[in-house]
Order: sequence, then structure tokens, then C-alpha cells
Amino acid sequence: MNTALNTIAFRLMQAAGVALVVGVMSFLMMQAMPGDMAFRIAAARYGYDLVNADLANAVRAELGLDAGPVTQFLHWMGGLARLDLGQSLVSGQPVWDEITHQLGASLQLALAAIVLSLLIGPPLGICAGLHAGGRFDRALLVVAASFRAVPQFLLGLLLIILLAVQMRLLPAAGHGSLAHFVLPALTLALGLAAASARITRDAMAGVAASPLYAFARAKGLSDGEVLRRHGLRNIGAPVVTYLGLQFVLLVEGVVVVETIFGWPGIGHALIHAVFHRDVPMVQGTALVMGLGFVLLNAIIDLIVRRIDPRGVQS
Amino acid sequence: MTLLVAKDISVHAGSDRLVDPVSLTLEMGKAVTVLGESGSGKSLLAQAILGTLPKGLDGSGTLTVGGDTFDPARPQGNRVLWGRRIAVLPQEPWLALDPLMRGQQQVAEVHDLVAAASEPAVRAKADLTALGLEAAGDKFPWQLSGGMAQRLAFAAARAGGAAITVADEPTKGLDADRRDDVLALLRKGLEGGGLLTITHDLTLAKGLGGEILVMQGGTVVERGPAARILTAPQHPYTRALIAADPANWPRRVPPSVQPVLVRATDVTVSRAGRTLFRPVGFSLSRGQTLGIFGPSGCGKSSLGNAILGLLPYEGTLWRDPGAPKLGFQKLWQDPPAAFPARITLGQGLDDLIALHRIDRKRVAPLLDRLKLSPSLLTRLPSGVSGGELQRIALLRALLLDPVFLFADEPTSRLDPVTQAETVRLMTEIAAERDMAIVFVSHDRALLHSVSDQMLELSAQ
Repeated sequence: MNTALNTIAFRLMQAAGVALVVGVMSFLMMQAMPGDMAFRIAAARYGYDLVNADLANAVRAELGLDAGPVTQFLHWMGGLARLDLGQSLVSGQPVWDEITHQLGASLQLALAAIVLSLLIGPPLGICAGLHAGGRFDRALLVVAASFRAVPQFLLGLLLIILLAVQMRLLPAAGHGSLAHFVLPALTLALGLAAASARITRDAMAGVAASPLYAFARAKGLSDGEVLRRHGLRNIGAPVVTYLGLQFVLLVEGVVVVETIFGWPGIGHALIHAVFHRDVPMVQGTALVMGLGFVLLNAIIDLIVRRIDPRGVQS
Repeated sequence: MTLLVAKDISVHAGSDRLVDPVSLTLEMGKAVTVLGESGSGKSLLAQAILGTLPKGLDGSGTLTVGGDTFDPARPQGNRVLWGRRIAVLPQEPWLALDPLMRGQQQVAEVHDLVAAASEPAVRAKADLTALGLEAAGDKFPWQLSGGMAQRLAFAAARAGGAAITVADEPTKGLDADRRDDVLALLRKGLEGGGLLTITHDLTLAKGLGGEILVMQGGTVVERGPAARILTAPQHPYTRALIAADPANWPRRVPPSVQPVLVRATDVTVSRAGRTLFRPVGFSLSRGQTLGIFGPSGCGKSSLGNAILGLLPYEGTLWRDPGAPKLGFQKLWQDPPAAFPARITLGQGLDDLIALHRIDRKRVAPLLDRLKLSPSLLTRLPSGVSGGELQRIALLRALLLDPVFLFADEPTSRLDPVTQAETVRLMTEIAAERDMAIVFVSHDRALLHSVSDQMLELSAQ
């Protein structure tokens, strides 16, 4: 029990560190971008055709952009300490409201992608690992490497061309019905599955060649029983740990895929916030993603300890 | 009652025959033991019977178990025997048990899935209790001692109700106490069943009794009742094998009185803040051999390393200040680990000769004395046998004119005949050069026959 508390305490410290680093880095990067910030914000509010120097100056005065970056940053950090992420510079809405609004759509998409990738990746990996060196194993290596190597924007476009434009099976973009889920979720899932299939394959091949596997068979258990009772248990820890790390791939993918498919999620919003120099939105979004990563890994840690208690109690 | 008949079992790799046809019969309550060195084909014979031959090897002959016939050439068919009629004991139980499943569950699943018995948990608990493992049921294998893991694996292997037990090298690398545990377990397997044991361990073979088959180079050279084979062997190889058993070595003649080289008073060694063994004292003269005995992990090697000056110690340790600086040398347990893998043996010796400005002419007579062919020096360590490599390690130490040699289980990885030869050479050379030896081993009989005095370490 003590170790679980230690883990949680460690993760809380980590979360504080992540908040600080994400805040500073995203702020610095936004400041380092070229162009007049007030002009970009004004353009986002009123449209590129209407914007002029007067409007930009009005925005500058309204948002106090002359106050200098340090004051702005301290202002944001002060807000963060009160659990207030501030207001969007473009819409004037609280950042937290905007994020929660978009997060729902992103979570739906991410969840669909994860479920889909779990249905594809680990089963294929287990199958290849059980027959390591066989024809299927070698074929999977090539396929998985290809899918990992293709960037997600390209994969998304290929799927649009193939399934939406050529075969007219699915809508190319949009949000609302179940059919809209398929292409973006599949784009994300194929990349994730390619990676998790390889990890699962290596873990499975290792366990299948181990003395514990040979002994389980010698005890008289059938291949299926050995896999269910000993194989899955022993590949569990490395595979679950890796799924936690995949969250990074997922966030990266969500940003790209949402933009391609016009999905109204947090990744889509982040891209727009960057274009429009909406600093509090960028900081808030990056912060939510960073803390999400910490939370997810804390959960994964607890699950892995449950699967493999070695090193916890001795 | 006859449990298993194996007729003309042989093993081929393509057109090469690795094991010549062997027939054997397992009877209720009677042990059959296959004796031989590594490479004699004894394990292949067992694998052909079980249907677990590695890829590329084919078995042939006929196998009859309880009236049903099996074909060693089609090993897939043998699978139905596993657990149900033949229990296979794992060589290394610690690795064979699932580290992530609690002890009782690993036995209960066999009752449940293999024997389809009612109340598997109750049966598993009874199995564990019968073996004195009540406390192990809720533990994971990595929380058990080696002996407990061995008994747990035994219970799991036999829970499917198999009458025949097959054990391949069950005592490999075990110290004497653990070996007695294994013997007791195998005897238990004999009650109401048959037993086939593959081993190079004469003590184990003697304890099991029954019939013994002696294998050499893939052929059974001699077979018969254990009592006859072990006391009146006919074949020269069997005689060599039995003579190689440390219990049968000639008694050591005590050396003449010589000056003291190392004197220890109340010496002990600590590792990570923990004292390893109760303080010991001894006095070792030139030409003498001190045997150090004790269970694994009790600090035998650490004591030797402390004498060499490689580890800090507590107590008083006096080394003859007149001894040369390089006079304290060591032989390692695992010869391949004591040589760089990618440098030829001759190159390694040349480097040593250059470093210490040794006369190169000394190598040839030493090679001769150690019965080593000079051509071996052109090879890599992986290209010579374990016995040859250990003799080259001895040669390497002898080039430095040692007055003291710490031999850390130098023969535990060698076959019995090779072990006997290596130890004999080592003790002869030590006598010729008035060299003192500290010999560490987990084999009490071996130490008894090589040592002038014995030191038994006990945990603190």
C-alpha cells in the first residue's frame, strides 16, 4: 500500500513539473514566432479581409499586449495557481470552457482509435510471436514497418482517396454520425497498431521460447490454455507499459488527423490557436495534454504493478 | 506392471545418427537411470521418448505406453502423454514456474484442466501440504527458496495424474543438500509409478537404484542393475566414470611441513552492510590445500577474494610479506567468462608474457605438463572444450609463478571424467611447486579428497 502512495506522490510532483515546463516552453515558442501578434489575433477575430492597423492596435490595447512577455507570463502562471487557465484572446471565452467543449470530441476519436488498434495490433503480434521466424512473422514485420513509416497525414489522405473518393463508401470529412468516425479512427489506429503489434510480437516470442512455456505444456495444458493462462499474463506488463507510451503517438496523431478530417477536437483547436497566436489557448491545451499523459502513466503504473508484483514486495 | 516400453529408439540429424537404437522398459516402482557425460546423447534419448527433440532432429523406433503405441518420428502425437501419463520434471524449476502466478494456482490448474478433477483448489492444497509447502501456496515462485521451487514444480508436473516421471539432469548445478532433496522427491515419484532419470550424478544414480544404462557417444556401452554397474563395472568407460566420482578418488597424502603462507584470525566479509558468515580462522602453509565448503551464497568466493586482497574484510589476515607481488592468483568458476571471447588464446598468453617480461620458452613445457596441444593456442576460447580452457587458465596463472592459488569452483562446469583429470593435474602441480591452494566447492566428497584441512562456512 505504501508503495502505491509513493507512486501517487511521485506522479503529483511530476504533474507539477510538467505544468511548469509545458507552460514555459509553449509560451516561449509562441513568443519566438514571427509576425505581429495583435495583427494575427485581429485577423482571427474579424477575418483577413477586414483587418487593418487600427483594428490591430485596438486589440493590442484591449489585451494589454504592450505589457511585455514577462508580465503576460506571470499573469498566466498566477491564473494557473488559482486553477484558472485564462481567456482565449480570440473568442474571449474562458480557455477551460473551450477545452472541455473540444476535449469530448477528441476523447471519442482517441478512444475509437485505441479500441480499433487493440483489436488489430496485439492479436497480430501474439500470432506472429507464437510462430517467431515464420512466414506470417516476417510478413507482419514488413507491413508493420511500412505503416509506422508512413506519416499519418499521408495515410489519412490515402484512405480518403481510396475509401471516400474512389469507392464512395464513407464521408471524407466531418463530424456527427458514426460513419464519420471510421476514416479518422482508422488512420490513427493503423499507426498505433503497427507499433503495438511489434512490441507484442517481441514479448510473445520471448515468453513462448522460455522454460516456463515449455513446462506449462509439459504439465499437459493445451496450446490455447498455455497462452491464456501463462502467455497473456507474462506479456501483459511490457505490452500495457507500451500502450501508456503510445499516448504520445496518439496526441501527435490527433493533432494531424483532426485537421485533415475537420474533426472539431482539441488537436484541431490547437492548430488554430497556434495560427491565431492565441497564447492562453495554446498553453491551456498543451497543459491538459501533458497532465493527461502523467495521469495515464500513473494509471498504467498501478495496472502493471498489479500484473507483475516483482520488485514491489520481496 | 509395465508402464512404458521404448523399442529401438534412435535419433538422427539428417543422415547422421546421433543416438544408436536403445530399448528400455519402465516398470512400476522401478527406476531406470541413463548415465553419461554431456554429448553422450542421453538427453536426446529422453527427448525422443517425450517427443521434444529440437528442430532438425528426428527420432525413430516404437514407443508403447499403457497399451497405446506412439511413433517417435511423429512427435506431435506424443503430446497427449504429457502431464496425463508422463510427468516431465523441469531442469531449472525457478525458470520453469510462472513468476506471475501464485504457487497453489500453478498446481490447481493442472488438476482442473488436465485431470479434469473436482475441487482442484482442495487437491492442490493437499499436494502442497504433502510436500511441506503449506506456506508456498499464496506465494509467487520468486518468493520461494530453490528447494521449495523444486518441490512446487514437482507437484505441478505430477498433478495431471501421470504414473511415469521423466527427469532430465535434475541435480545439475545443485549443492549436496539440494541434491538429497531431489533424490527424496524422485523416490516419491517411484511410489506407484515409474521413473526415467537422465544424469551424470553417480550419487543420484546410486540412491535411485533400479537399472542403469551407461551412454557414451550416442551408444549404450553397458547396462544392468545399479548395484552391479556401480560396484563391478565391466566397460572401460563405466570404470573411468566411476573412478571420476570424487568419493572414489585416492586419499591425499599430506605434504611435508612447510612455512606458513596465510594466517587468518576471526576473518569475515561484509557485503552491502551484511556479514556473510561467522568469523573463521585458519593457517595455510605452502603446498597445503584448504577446502572451503558451504551452501550457495554463504560467502565462499568472497572469503577467497578477501585472501587475494580483492575484497575488504574484518579480522586479521596475515600474508607472508616475502611472497612475490603477483604470487596470489585465481582460477575462475566459468572458464569462458575468464577469457576475452574474440582474442585467440595464444594472443592472450603473448600479451601476458610481454606485460610481465616472462621467458617465452616456459610455455612449451607447461603445455606439455598440462597435456595441452600447442595448436589449441591458435583458437578462440569458444573453440576449445571447457576442460582444456580451464587447463589453459591454470597455465596462465602458473606463468606468474604463484605461491597461492584460489580455485573458485574450478570444475563445477566440467564433466566428471574431465573434472577428475583437471583436479589431479592441479594438485600434482601444486605439490611440485609447493603452491598453496584454497579450493572452493559445493561438493563435499571432492573437497574431502583434495584438501588437507576443511573450512565449513555457515551463515551469520
